[in-house]
Amino acid sequence: MVKITALMVLKCRPEGSDPVILVNASDLSNFGFFQRPSVKEFIVFVGRTVAKRIPPGQRQSVQHEEYKVHSYNRDGLCALGFMDDHYPVRSAFSLLNQVLDEYQKNFGDSWKTVQDDNAQQWPYLSEALTKFQDPAEADKLLKIQRELDETKIILHKTIDSVLERGVKLDSLVEKSSDLSAASQMFYKQAKKTNQCCTIL
Amino acid sequence: MAAAGASPFRDRTSEFASLSQTLRRIGGNAVAPPPSQSNDQVALTPDRSEFNKKASRIGLRIHQTSQKIDRLSNLTKRSSIFDDRSKENEELTSLIKNDVTALKMAISDLQTLQNAEIAERSYSGDRVVHLTAVCDDLKNRLMSATKQFQDVLTTRTKNIKAHEDRKQIFSTVVSREKPLKQPPNNVTEPPPWLSSSDSSGGNLHSSGSIENGVQVGNQLRRRMATDVNPSPQMEAAMLQQVVPRQESISQSRTSALQNVESTISELSGVFTHLATMVAHQGELAIRIDDNMDESLANVEGANNALLKYLNRISSNRWLMIKLFLILILFMVIFIVFIL
Repeated sequence: MVKITALMVLKCRPEGSDPVILVNASDLSNFGFFQRPSVKEFIVFVGRTVAKRIPPGQRQSVQHEEYKVHSYNRDGLCALGFMDDHYPVRSAFSLLNQVLDEYQKNFGDSWKTVQDDNAQQWPYLSEALTKFQDPAEADKLLKIQRELDETKIILHKTIDSVLERGVKLDSLVEKSSDLSAASQMFYKQAKKTNQCCTIL
Repeated sequence: MAAAGASPFRDRTSEFASLSQTLRRIGGNAVAPPPSQSNDQVALTPDRSEFNKKASRIGLRIHQTSQKIDRLSNLTKRSSIFDDRSKENEELTSLIKNDVTALKMAISDLQTLQNAEIAERSYSGDRVVHLTAVCDDLKNRLMSATKQFQDVLTTRTKNIKAHEDRKQIFSTVVSREKPLKQPPNNVTEPPPWLSSSDSSGGNLHSSGSIENGVQVGNQLRRRMATDVNPSPQMEAAMLQQVVPRQESISQSRTSALQNVESTISELSGVFTHLATMVAHQGELAIRIDDNMDESLANVEGANNALLKYLNRISSNRWLMIKLFLILILFMVIFIVFIL
């Protein structure tokens, strides 16, 4: 099952200095209770490193142990996603794009003035984290493909049932033709007995 | 009389040869001295057959080239925006071009050969007419083939242009307006970088978000971003990195779209299949209905007949009583008579 472990928005300063974390949302349900703080530290550190290295206006994917970190830097505002290997790359980047747009819609340009690591609470990010665990949500093409496949399966079943219906209709045709023949014989017999003994 | 050269389907060279021999025998040496003519004849026939061979070869090649042109036109008609078989198209185009030029050269060679032959020996007027007719025919055929080739090429360029326009609509919506806004010294560098990054972003957005509002918002943000943009020269160097990455994204998107397209067409086929099956089964239902109506009518008729029978039987009793009375009467009279 594909999974997003964390989503972060950072502000990348032009050169040298470390990026500043603006919002951070993570889903650490896979890890044991005592491992969670260390995993969080790990995420923060790796995120900072990747964001420092990414040139502005670019998308990058870095493989780290079993995670892929996808990063998208758009003029100083950088969105990072920690996903596992099976998460499709395209939907990852479209998700990061959406996150950046939402952030800019919500906070405007106030992030430019932030200097410290304040983890603002942004509920949208945690919602997005849960919503986009399914990559189809982020990438409409995947969703369309999936729905089309389901439709195809349903149609195949429909065709099978229509074939069965055809077989049953065939048997019905047979039976009805037999019935009509029998009724015709019945009619003839009745007419014969009627026309025989009129004198007597 | 000299029908051997004019008609391509009936080979009357033997008749012509015999006729000319008889004429020569009759006409004596008025036409030409026999030994030289025999030499000429010996030399004529190889030349004639060589000319004919060349002409037939050229005709065959023209035919093959026109077939290739047909294939090319089919390819251009069939290739859509995603199924771009441009390599095949271009290979075929270059092949056809080579063939056409080679054919042109061959025909011009043939014509020079013909002129040389005519100048060398004094052929009969019909022979000259035949040679010129053959050359003209080949030239006409080649011209029509080249015309067809040109039409195919124009349609192909039109298609390519349409594809490019469509691609531009989806990918470089922003970058087309950019050069107007930016200062001239930045025009060259940022647009390639921006267009490459915007193309992928634009693609993602055009496929991801259908709402125009979000797109407009993105465009506004990107315009602001260009004003804040630092040295563009740095970005040009990074273009090398950016382009392959975004090509893979666009390629993956292309393949996904192709999948979707093929799935949809499969679905349409399935639907039509379903519709035909249901239509056929509708006929079956009508047949069943007719059979049932017929059997109903039969049973009703039989019912009526039986009812009549019943009535007859029940009503006949009176007649039977009367009949029996008459019989008993006759019996009584008979007994009275005997007695």
